[in-house]
Amino acid sequence: MRTGKINRLIAHFSLPGFLSQPSVAASLLKAAPILTPKLGQAESGSSGSQFPKTTALFGAGASGFLGCATIAYASDEAEHGLDCPSYPWPHISILSSYDHSSIRRGHQVYQQVCASCHSMSLISYRDLVGVAYAEEETKAMAAEIEVVDGPSDEGKMFTRPGKVSDRLPQPYTNEQAARFANGGAYPPDLSLITKARHNGQNYVFALLTGYHDYPAGVTIRDELHYNPYFPGGAIVMPKMLNDGAVEYEDGTPATEAQMGKDVVTFLSWAAEPEMEERKLMGLKWIFVLSLVLLQAGYYRRMRWSVLISRKLVLDVVN
Amino acid sequence: MQNEQTSRKATAKLTSIIQQLEQSWEDAVDQKKALEESCKSKCTKPYVEYKQCVKRVDSDDSGQKHCTGQYFDYWSCVDKCVAPKLFQELK
Repeated sequence: MRTGKINRLIAHFSLPGFLSQPSVAASLLKAAPILTPKLGQAESGSSGSQFPKTTALFGAGASGFLGCATIAYASDEAEHGLDCPSYPWPHISILSSYDHSSIRRGHQVYQQVCASCHSMSLISYRDLVGVAYAEEETKAMAAEIEVVDGPSDEGKMFTRPGKVSDRLPQPYTNEQAARFANGGAYPPDLSLITKARHNGQNYVFALLTGYHDYPAGVTIRDELHYNPYFPGGAIVMPKMLNDGAVEYEDGTPATEAQMGKDVVTFLSWAAEPEMEERKLMGLKWIFVLSLVLLQAGYYRRMRWSVLISRKLVLDVVN
Repeated sequence: MQNEQTSRKATAKLTSIIQQLEQSWEDAVDQKKALEESCKSKCTKPYVEYKQCVKRVDSDDSGQKHCTGQYFDYWSCVDKCVAPKLFQELK
């Protein structure tokens, strides 16, 4: 009855192409030792009743699926990228705020290392006030950039020094210019990057500090660089964080790991500036709602007490 | 006894001062690389398997073989070792 559907399912999973590579076949056999006798049965028995044929096909399909699962994972390993570890970020726990001095250092790293290629078009200078810099510092920082402003009274566009309300400057005018300058790859906007990538904070840190030598047998084009955490392994961005690339204002030694931590803290803040307020709100409302829950529980039991404690007597009517 | 205690305190203080000085040096050693070196000893098994794979890949050159699997196993072992300790070394 359902054999048609099962056969289609099996046909979908046990593709013959997988068996062509010897390593694949070995892992296939390793993955399903129990089911190989059934496979042999399917090959040997040509004609016969429907039932053993279907079970044999199902066995083949199951072993194909299992083998497929292991093979597919192995060939997808590089495509998926090396899984990044979980670092103990100081702002992760439910009661923690950001390390604001780290945000300040991270902004410095972004400005000096990353801003030449990556835009952060959703952050304004005024967002930094009270978080990483004082207002006067931010005004001075904004005044260093030139911004094109709307038509003047004469109808012409003009450039003026930046104001605190302006967005962070973009390195390229549009995506096509960015791609053209970077070998076809677009350096993504970093305003939301830690939310836009799975396990974003750990991923970005692992990526930035994870430029290792490539494994034996892997070749990459000259223009690309190897990074095991990047899906596919070949990334256009070269290793940007090198020891001493930035001189921190507070004298912290600017090692690769330190810069990576600071810039990822900055990016986390940029993606989730509301985090501290959100945690405070969450704490407050969880407390209030648990009190409400206690009150509601008491009220329910009080109202139901009448019904719960009633007694019904069945009496025989003569 | 007291002299020993005071000398021990003095050496502890000296080492902490030296550590602070080391941290403020311009060419500070990258903490992550240092930890990865020290974690190598905990990941000898995947490292040995990677080296064996490298030998296999070097010997026959069909262009299809690569050691990504063993490489990933080694680096995920090192990463798991490094990750809990790294941030204690950073500011």
